[in-house]
Amino acid sequence: MMIPSAIAVGVFAIVPLLGMFALSMTDFHLVKKWDHEFGFQNFIKLWNNKRFINSINVMLLLSVFGVIFQVALGTLIAVGLEKIIPKWRFMRGIFVIPFVVPAVAVALIWLSLLTPTLSPVNDFFDIFGITVPALLTSQYGAIAAIVMADTWASYPFVMLLILAALQGIPSDLDEAASIDGASKLQTFYKITLPLLAPALLMVSLFRFIETLKHFPLIHIMTTGGPGRSTQATNYYAYIQTFQNSNVSYGAAIAVFLFLFAAIISYYVARANARINDA
Amino acid sequence: MIKRHITAMLGAAILGMSASVVSTAHAADELNVLLFAMPYTRALAELEADFEAKSGMDVNIEVIGQDVFENRIALSFTGKSGDLDVVHAPVIQLQRWVAADWLRPVTAEIDAMETKDDILAGPLDSFVVNGENWGLPFLAGTGMMAYRTDIFEAAGISEPPATWAEMLDVAEKIHTNETAAIAMRVAPGQGFNMFVYPQIMRAYGGTFFKDYPTDLTPSMSTPEGLEALGVYSTLMNDFGPQGIGSFNFAEVTAAMQNGQVAIILDESGLIAQTLDPEKSKFADKISIAAVPSGPAGRSPAIAVHGLGIPADAPNPAASFAFMEWATSEEVLTKIAVSAGFADFTRASVAENAEVTKAFESIHPDFLSLRVQMLNDAIGHYRPLIPEWPQIGQAVGENINAAVNGLMSNEEALEAADEEIAEILSE
Repeated sequence: MMIPSAIAVGVFAIVPLLGMFALSMTDFHLVKKWDHEFGFQNFIKLWNNKRFINSINVMLLLSVFGVIFQVALGTLIAVGLEKIIPKWRFMRGIFVIPFVVPAVAVALIWLSLLTPTLSPVNDFFDIFGITVPALLTSQYGAIAAIVMADTWASYPFVMLLILAALQGIPSDLDEAASIDGASKLQTFYKITLPLLAPALLMVSLFRFIETLKHFPLIHIMTTGGPGRSTQATNYYAYIQTFQNSNVSYGAAIAVFLFLFAAIISYYVARANARINDA
Repeated sequence: MIKRHITAMLGAAILGMSASVVSTAHAADELNVLLFAMPYTRALAELEADFEAKSGMDVNIEVIGQDVFENRIALSFTGKSGDLDVVHAPVIQLQRWVAADWLRPVTAEIDAMETKDDILAGPLDSFVVNGENWGLPFLAGTGMMAYRTDIFEAAGISEPPATWAEMLDVAEKIHTNETAAIAMRVAPGQGFNMFVYPQIMRAYGGTFFKDYPTDLTPSMSTPEGLEALGVYSTLMNDFGPQGIGSFNFAEVTAAMQNGQVAIILDESGLIAQTLDPEKSKFADKISIAAVPSGPAGRSPAIAVHGLGIPADAPNPAASFAFMEWATSEEVLTKIAVSAGFADFTRASVAENAEVTKAFESIHPDFLSLRVQMLNDAIGHYRPLIPEWPQIGQAVGENINAAVNGLMSNEEALEAADEEIAEILSE
């Protein structure tokens, strides 16, 4: 049983990964004649590249704020549906809808909503003489716009996982707390939330790694702009590889992203183990 | 040699992870054509049965989005898979593709064409690199202005602005909260803001390089360049619609069609869409004019697209037969009439009675103004060097940052010069 799985992992995960590592060590360029150099020159160049450093800052802003809002909103709705107003559980299907919308469609929906001349939101507020600011033309506004679109599309994932985790918490714990005189809020903070911690940590990790792969939202909503305000590292790798034909440099950026995600995963897994042991 | 092949294979493998799956090899009497979406290519795909009936060959015309196209082409060319017979070839990418040996020259085939002289000389010449011709043009788009006659009349303005200085005056007179004065592309990219911005830059005497093509020292940061960027920033920020800083051609065209702006400057094919009553709410109140000039003259934008043969295409003769058919008078006329395609590249199409009638119904001066703008345009409006896509992207990002207030105009032009020098030195 192990052999087919090992072959599948080897062919579909390990081999492409090794290929990417090897390519990042070359000076392969689609257009320019290359000098058959093999070494760490791409990584040294990255270290001194202001655009690359900027892309990491953008990526971290998008990922950190994206995960915070997605986890907060997803958890809030899950707790609401499970603990506060269980009658509304049938609403789960409606809350899940954004999750099944393809990323390109999500980007187009939010682009329309945030483009003042196309947006029904702007038209509505215009009636009252209120001008809605154009988010996509300011540095942090554009980042906020992508975080909003990503939160809308991804909170259902968090909600579903947290709902599953909530259903795994025995209800007699709540009842015992209630008999001991704890309020609902105290029960949530002292009992439910600590028991949810492993699930919250894992869902945050999943979402964090997923947000490192931002592409359609950036490409369609801002094309990396204004200026380079939303050029996250993943998008910068695309620019280097496909627009600048600098494939080996793009591969070096991809290697950086892989290592970054691997390190984060390692530390989160360790934290998770500690929580479970406690 | 082995090392080169291994690296090329690695390159193809990595590209393959991001690109669509390439179709497999095909039969000898079958042609695979890959194009990116625009009115001409969509209309051409509908005519593929005509070519099959004429040639006895099967043809698969695949029309995909431009971004997917770029990835797919890189994968196909790098992997040397020989899966494509004819590809969409934008002139702006031509230098890069030729430098990478991705295309096959078609000079002899074009010289042997009986109808060669009917092809507009400018667009055909733009496919010449290193003395060889690398494609046949199907589209020659140029810059044009569309403006609202009712708004001009209400403001007491009798003529469209002929210069950028007049444009500033007119914009000030007609700008209101309900209808902004002017919209142009500002989104960053070599095909986005860098399609329209050089119209102002060159009109004020600004250039990308000190003396193209002999001296490629970057020269955007000059008093002329600064003045031009000042005009562009003022027009967009003071007289543009809200959110203009992220507008691309779709938003610019839609704003004109929906009556949210009084003037737009964009590509001739898109300007034609604002004059079409089926697509534009205010078509009967829109007229057209030349791109304004400046102290250094007029420099309308130009974009030429054509068809080329990949270097590894298995049957070049059949590929060229398709190219010749797809850019023939018959096909271009059909598409001009059926799809309102205004950017055709044959003189005979412009003289065709059916075409003339179709465009006169949109605007009596449309075809003649298009010819005038194409004549005024310079071939190297955007520099014809292999590094241009990279340079255009970098410059476009800096210009966009300046318009959106993320850096000053001076800083943006200095950064553009620095980055151009860096790209050329790599």
